[in-house]
Amino acid sequence: MDREEQEEASPLFKSWNTWYVLVIGCLLVLILFFYFLTKHFS
Amino acid sequence: MSRPDWIVLVLTLLAMIAYGLYKGRTTRNLDGYFLANRSVPWYMVLLGIMGTQASAVTFLSAPGQAYTDGMRFVQYYFGLPLAMVVLCITFVPVFHRLKVYTAYEFLEQRFDLKTRTLTSFLFLLQRGLSTGISISAPSIILSSILGWDIVWTNIFMGGLLIIYTVTGGAKAVAYTQQLQLIIIFTGMFIAGYMVIHQLPAGVGLTEALHIGGKAGKLNIITTGINEKGFDWNDRYNLFSGIIGGFFLALSYFGTDQSQVGRYLTARSMGESRLGLLMNGLVKVPMQFLILLLGVLVFTFYQFNREPVFFNKSQVDLLEKSKYKDSLVQLEKAYEATEDLRIHTAAPTEAQVQEILKTKAGYRTTIKRWLNDKDVGGEDNDTNYIFLRFVMDYLPKGLIGLLIAVIFLAAWGSIAATLNSLSSCTIVDFHKRFSRPLTEEKEFRLSRIYTFFWGVFCVAVAQLAYNLGNSLIEAVNVLGSLFYGVILGIFLVAFYRKKVGGTAVFISAVITEAGVIVLNILSRKGIVSLSFLWFNVVGAIGVILISEVLQLLIKNNNKAA
Repeated sequence: MDREEQEEASPLFKSWNTWYVLVIGCLLVLILFFYFLTKHFS
Repeated sequence: MSRPDWIVLVLTLLAMIAYGLYKGRTTRNLDGYFLANRSVPWYMVLLGIMGTQASAVTFLSAPGQAYTDGMRFVQYYFGLPLAMVVLCITFVPVFHRLKVYTAYEFLEQRFDLKTRTLTSFLFLLQRGLSTGISISAPSIILSSILGWDIVWTNIFMGGLLIIYTVTGGAKAVAYTQQLQLIIIFTGMFIAGYMVIHQLPAGVGLTEALHIGGKAGKLNIITTGINEKGFDWNDRYNLFSGIIGGFFLALSYFGTDQSQVGRYLTARSMGESRLGLLMNGLVKVPMQFLILLLGVLVFTFYQFNREPVFFNKSQVDLLEKSKYKDSLVQLEKAYEATEDLRIHTAAPTEAQVQEILKTKAGYRTTIKRWLNDKDVGGEDNDTNYIFLRFVMDYLPKGLIGLLIAVIFLAAWGSIAATLNSLSSCTIVDFHKRFSRPLTEEKEFRLSRIYTFFWGVFCVAVAQLAYNLGNSLIEAVNVLGSLFYGVILGIFLVAFYRKKVGGTAVFISAVITEAGVIVLNILSRKGIVSLSFLWFNVVGAIGVILISEVLQLLIKNNNKAA
């Protein structure tokens, strides 16, 4: 494995794609949570 | 401010300068000065990115914005996580592979020199001006609340950090940002705790949210859709936040050297990516918490006497004007209304509405007086709400810490910007257009340019002194005039391989002129379009016009 590939290795997950899904998934969860807060407290 | 507050403030600021000088003492060449020898771990990249984006205005204005307009401002950041993903896939690998100092170097390799020069020039222009406003915004507020001289406040806000930024470059910036954010978050958490602690017995966080919610402050998600359809002029809603916010964040983090310069300091491409992705995870919750602080302060004032106008210096101005006697009468009547509101147990809905209407009337009168040409006051006190609460209700020592938080937030953002302005000036202009320089001369010139930009930004801050209204938005609007076009150039570079330099250059000039005209029409009320959409218009405009121009150029060449 050369240096470029080593740098590409994703920590914790097998690939960077899992990280991307995690970030987008968290955003969706946050938006749903905020929607719940808006509905519940307004 | 009391003596303990002064001690905390001065010690914190001096410690920060000393720490910056210590950490940056080994920097001796261009690679170290602008890229920290590409040695920074991901968590420092994250703190650098966050510290650069979060200026003093973020911590001053955002709670005030939640207090007056509710928490819907958080939607402005919804496009950011999506932008982080696109950056990691497209921008970061290219910048690392080419080992560039500035983002604009890539444009010369992909297009030509004129496109690189134009884009770097647009960056220097808008970033230099907006940094001046970033210095001026908190300085005006502090000088107004604490009675400090504006010139000296500007110099302290934008000048002291020059000492360690000029000396230590990117390494000093990265390490001080790390320490600054730790102090900032500590200060804000303590402030949040103190607000809840000072609420009456039996009123906790949940009750505070109910009170804020009833007053419409928990409008976190809004659609911008009314009976007439989608309101394009509505600044903060789900759609403008996701779409407009995405374009703005992609442009800011992908093409603004003050941010690109932060993740280029990472020791590997993976560390850059991780720093950006973590930013995508934590930015929205962080902004939510800062806005929540504003709602908590709002709840606090439901049980305590709320000032008729939060900017005390403007009330002082009225006391010296022809409205002096009227003001005394108005303040007495206002206090009576406030006492009635606070001491009425279980008021009916009609009583609450009546009191709110009366209070609004008093505030409108104050604003009308301030707008009188003879008074020449400032009628927007949104940016003063949080600091007024800090000054009136927080204990000695903690006030000093929170004033230090404002300075440090400003320093973190400005230091990174000065470093990036200097890197573009030397790499994209001086080195590119002059004879080869020795390593020592490059380093010395980089320091001189950093110093020059520091002085320039403080001078702009002084010129911007007369700028009014909500300052956070002034900075954002200025960015949105240029960001879309710069992003469009980069998107063509990455995704439209057949488009050449001449087509993209002409399309950028045409689109930039169009965006500026659009802004003028929007200000005059001829066009109804919120500033976040300028980013979308700018980016898509460059892509479409460059495609058409490329076709024309191709056909012309064939005909020739």
